[in-house]
Amino acid sequence: MSSQKKKTFQIEAFKHRVVVDPKYADKTWKILEHAIHEIYNHNASGLSFEELYRNAYNMVLHKYGEKLYSGLVTTMTAHLKEISKSIEAAQGGSFLEELNRKWTDHNKALQMIRDILMYMDRTFVPSTHKTPVYELGLNLWRDNVIHSSNIQTRLLNTLLELILRERTGEVINRGLTRNIIKMLMDLGSSVYQEDFEKPFLEVSANFFRVESQQFIECCDCGDYLKKAERRLNEEIERVSHYLDSNSEVKITNVVEREMIANHMLRLVHMENSGLVNMLLDDKYEDLGRMYSLFRRVINGLSTIRDVMTSHIREAGKELVTDPEIVKDPVEFVQRLLDEKDKYDKIITLAFNNDKTFQNALNSSFEYFINLNPRSPEYISLFVDDKLRKGLKGVSEEDVEVVLDKVMMLFRFLQEKDVFEKYYKQHLAKRLLSGKTVSDDAERSLIVKLKTECGYQFTSKLEGMFTDMKTSQDTVQGFYAGHGHELMDAPTLVVQVLTTGSWPTQPSMPCNLPAELSALCEKFRSYYLGTHTGRRLSWQTNMGTADIKATFGKGQKHELNVSTYQMCVLMLFNNADRLTYKEIEQATEIPAPELKRCLQSLACVKGKNVLRKEPMSKDIAENDAFLFNDKFTSKFYKVKIGTVVAQKESEPEKQETRQRVEEDRKPQIEAAIVRIMKSRRVLDHNNVVAEVTKQLQSRFLPNPVEIKKRIESLIEREFLERDSADRKLYRYLA
Amino acid sequence: MNNPRDLIRFNVGGKIFQTTSTTLANAGRSSFFGALFDDNWNLNSNSDDPIFIDRNPDCFGVLLDLLRTGELCIPPHLPEKLLFREAYFYGLSDHVRCARWGPFDGNRLRLTSSVSGRAPGDGTAIRAGPDGGCCVAHGCIVHVYDWTLEDHPPLQLDYQIVNDVGWLDSHNVVVSACERLGRGDCGMGLFNAVDGELRHRFHVLHDSQVKSFTAGALGFDSNQHKIFASCKGRSNEYGIGVWDQMTGHQLDFFYEPLGWSLGDADRLQWLPGSNCLLVATLFPRKDHCYISLLDFRAPKSMVWAWSDAHVGGMMEDQKRVRDAIAMEETSSMCVVNEFEDLGFMDLRSSGATSIRWSSRSRLIMKGKHDKMAEDEPCYPKLGFHNGQLFSSMNDSISVFSGPEWVLTSRLRCAYGGPICDFSIGGGRLFALHSEENVFDVWEAPPCALALKATQPERGICLIVGAEKQ
Repeated sequence: MSSQKKKTFQIEAFKHRVVVDPKYADKTWKILEHAIHEIYNHNASGLSFEELYRNAYNMVLHKYGEKLYSGLVTTMTAHLKEISKSIEAAQGGSFLEELNRKWTDHNKALQMIRDILMYMDRTFVPSTHKTPVYELGLNLWRDNVIHSSNIQTRLLNTLLELILRERTGEVINRGLTRNIIKMLMDLGSSVYQEDFEKPFLEVSANFFRVESQQFIECCDCGDYLKKAERRLNEEIERVSHYLDSNSEVKITNVVEREMIANHMLRLVHMENSGLVNMLLDDKYEDLGRMYSLFRRVINGLSTIRDVMTSHIREAGKELVTDPEIVKDPVEFVQRLLDEKDKYDKIITLAFNNDKTFQNALNSSFEYFINLNPRSPEYISLFVDDKLRKGLKGVSEEDVEVVLDKVMMLFRFLQEKDVFEKYYKQHLAKRLLSGKTVSDDAERSLIVKLKTECGYQFTSKLEGMFTDMKTSQDTVQGFYAGHGHELMDAPTLVVQVLTTGSWPTQPSMPCNLPAELSALCEKFRSYYLGTHTGRRLSWQTNMGTADIKATFGKGQKHELNVSTYQMCVLMLFNNADRLTYKEIEQATEIPAPELKRCLQSLACVKGKNVLRKEPMSKDIAENDAFLFNDKFTSKFYKVKIGTVVAQKESEPEKQETRQRVEEDRKPQIEAAIVRIMKSRRVLDHNNVVAEVTKQLQSRFLPNPVEIKKRIESLIEREFLERDSADRKLYRYLA
Repeated sequence: MNNPRDLIRFNVGGKIFQTTSTTLANAGRSSFFGALFDDNWNLNSNSDDPIFIDRNPDCFGVLLDLLRTGELCIPPHLPEKLLFREAYFYGLSDHVRCARWGPFDGNRLRLTSSVSGRAPGDGTAIRAGPDGGCCVAHGCIVHVYDWTLEDHPPLQLDYQIVNDVGWLDSHNVVVSACERLGRGDCGMGLFNAVDGELRHRFHVLHDSQVKSFTAGALGFDSNQHKIFASCKGRSNEYGIGVWDQMTGHQLDFFYEPLGWSLGDADRLQWLPGSNCLLVATLFPRKDHCYISLLDFRAPKSMVWAWSDAHVGGMMEDQKRVRDAIAMEETSSMCVVNEFEDLGFMDLRSSGATSIRWSSRSRLIMKGKHDKMAEDEPCYPKLGFHNGQLFSSMNDSISVFSGPEWVLTSRLRCAYGGPICDFSIGGGRLFALHSEENVFDVWEAPPCALALKATQPERGICLIVGAEKQ
């Protein structure tokens, strides 16, 4: 209502379409049709774009869009049919060239037609949901040319044959091939896939299947891999030159499947040239090739890894159980290190530093190193050897390298506490005998152990170093205070060792010669005077002495001997001949020690400062010993070693083992209590699992032992069994 | 300019123009000029004759100027329509459109035109098209306007009352209408926006039988090409139908659960981020409001729901929800009541949510409100575009911006009575007035320079500063 008030209606004139000429549409279309003919006949130079555009515009404007569009379809189809005929007529090699030429022509014509019909494309086509002119041209080309029965298969076969010829080494016209393939891609990805890619992949699969069968019959593994790699690269190159880049994955998959995946196991286990041989011969290049090819297929790398792992385990097992190698600890560890170096290098050079391969290598080493229960001892002995003499004249960096390698082996050990035990022993010997070459190297290793296993592991080892230093100061202090009284007495060097830090054997005191025992008493009173509340006991079994001796013809020598040996020799200041019994009574040295010490004094050639009667190797109760007046040596200083087994003897080993087991008990108990304290209630299996986890860094506790410890803790009322569930333990606060 | 080959001379309808190929290159390859200078057409550039074009020289001059400067200056004597037609001929309509209005910003809008319609009675809905056009539903007719505001042949579906319209793309419009009593015809059709031709009728199948139905609100999922519509079937088959845009076939049907409302929905909104459809049935179509989010992926479920049905008896000043819109950016739902109070709900919590009402918008409206209340009521409508919230009330549209939805602008046009619907799209805001059958077109100016040159001829643009409460 209100609209009528405010506005007056204007009556607009009826808009009728002005149709100029009933034949207008036909005439205009004739012009355009003629233009399309001319364009296809390469005769477009006389055409006026403006006029054609305007004509097409007018046709659409006057609602003749449908006529224009269908006319275009008919005209273009007719042209394409002719084109198709001329392509079919092309003979042999000129087929592709003709196809390419006509495609280029059609493309150009299509562009021009699209330009003319631009207005139709913009308005008529979208509103009627028709195919735009350019796509229409491609579709018509596809249907009338590419899919014409006389062209479709011929085109495919020609392309496949070209590729086959190129694979067999011929040179083909890549530019032309690229153009044709590009045409298929332009026609839509489905055309490319259906009319070329699918059959291409099938034919390729066949080709590579046959070829790989031939190769594998006549080549060794290395050669085969080289050939497969070359084929793979060729296919990748082919894609980059004239195929759709999406085909790369597909064709490489075919090569991978036919040439690698299908022959994987056969290649790896190939006799005399397979993976194991490559590993044995350090064939980095072949191994690298195998790695890079196998990584492309499913399970490829795991196949290599499994074979490598079992090979390393086998070889390692052989190594650690080889009776010849096991004889020499240094050799044993050196062989392990060499083996590790070898595989490290293979993984670096050929396996791309693959983490999974490194892990496999480490777990293999862990597996076989622990097969030999003496590995911890041997590794410690190896370090001992290196630190005693092996590192002389070696630069600091190289020392570090060696130590790092040792640490790596150490990481593989399950019984780290056993290593610790041995290491302590060996370190004590080195320190007390002053044999250690480099203090820095010693300390560096301890730092490494500390970072690896924590403060607890090394605190005692560090204590040993501290003791050495304090002792030096103490002795200096002693001589500073008492020096004037002791001008004539022998020089005494005392190392005060803290009990607990050092691997002490039960002290077996012996009778020291009188002049020494007086000196020792003085030191004792000095020491206790400065450190009240301490107890000193003499570890005579660990000392050394330098004594001067005059032999026949006035020959003077300085003899470097052990404390026990010194005690024995001093007896000969007052006697020329003593029986074993007399010596034993005078010195009170324990029999096995005494025997060993007498052996080294009397039975070692060139160092026999004593003579034994009778002259036999073994010491008997009734043997007599005489001062060897005829002793000669080229050197002024003579070191008389004790006959000592470097490796542990069987009973010693048992003893060490037992000590280790003893030491483990409180550790296991501590772990159990820690766990139970936090969990309050826990069942047996979980306790075992957690204890094992906690102690893993030091050793692998035996479940039976854990059970025993639990029993013991229950007895001591730290824990109790749950009354309902016997498998459950409760913590008693 | 030193290179004479760069110079180009045209003879347009007898008038000589001189320009450079650089200027013409601005037209782009898909224009008349792009094709004209393509190498395929060996244009005789050496000849002294100018290139003849049989078109209007005045328009050519304006368009050439557009290519030179990127600005559109239409002399007063030149009808816009003529210019648009010429632009179409040369393939420059996109250039003209870009020069006409800039990127949409609710705070920069100016009223550029008001178009009066012919249909009697109140308008039902106005929908902005993707290209700057719009369609207006009045009674049983839908008028379609292109971006030049030229009207196309109107759409009708058996001359039944139209309930909603929507654009599929720039050439296709979907119309939902009431079912035709006594006939098995359905209530939804797809039309060609240019010539008004009915292209497809949508059917609803229940137990493989075609049923006639009344289609209500429409929603579109442009990514998966789906159309949603609220449907009321003959035999109480109420719910939401889903069709494929390409094939027109029915894909799915979400039946209305007991005690809920879907088939009468006032608003459908597809939420692409959460893959859900917002369905809102509002007062006064029903006594209560039902707002829900539907997930059509199997198993079909209602993933979020809110209703005021449980509130019970009407309270005096109860705030009834009159429109609802989901804002995925903030995972929230905005609702409005008849006093234009905005309320918000959280879409993330699926449980019982309550509306947080914010009444800061009331203060400004208070005075006006009483006067307008006498007129025929126009319920508030909501719109959301690019982080800005729009709400229509009476004769004005408020623009709210920022995370706190501060009122930043108010669009008002004094002529035409209250606004019954508005729609944003194609860079424009269309507001439909209920009384005078007029719709307004609001645009952001193309750039700062153009803003200075042209002032809105009609209507007032109030810029309201942020107010603290």
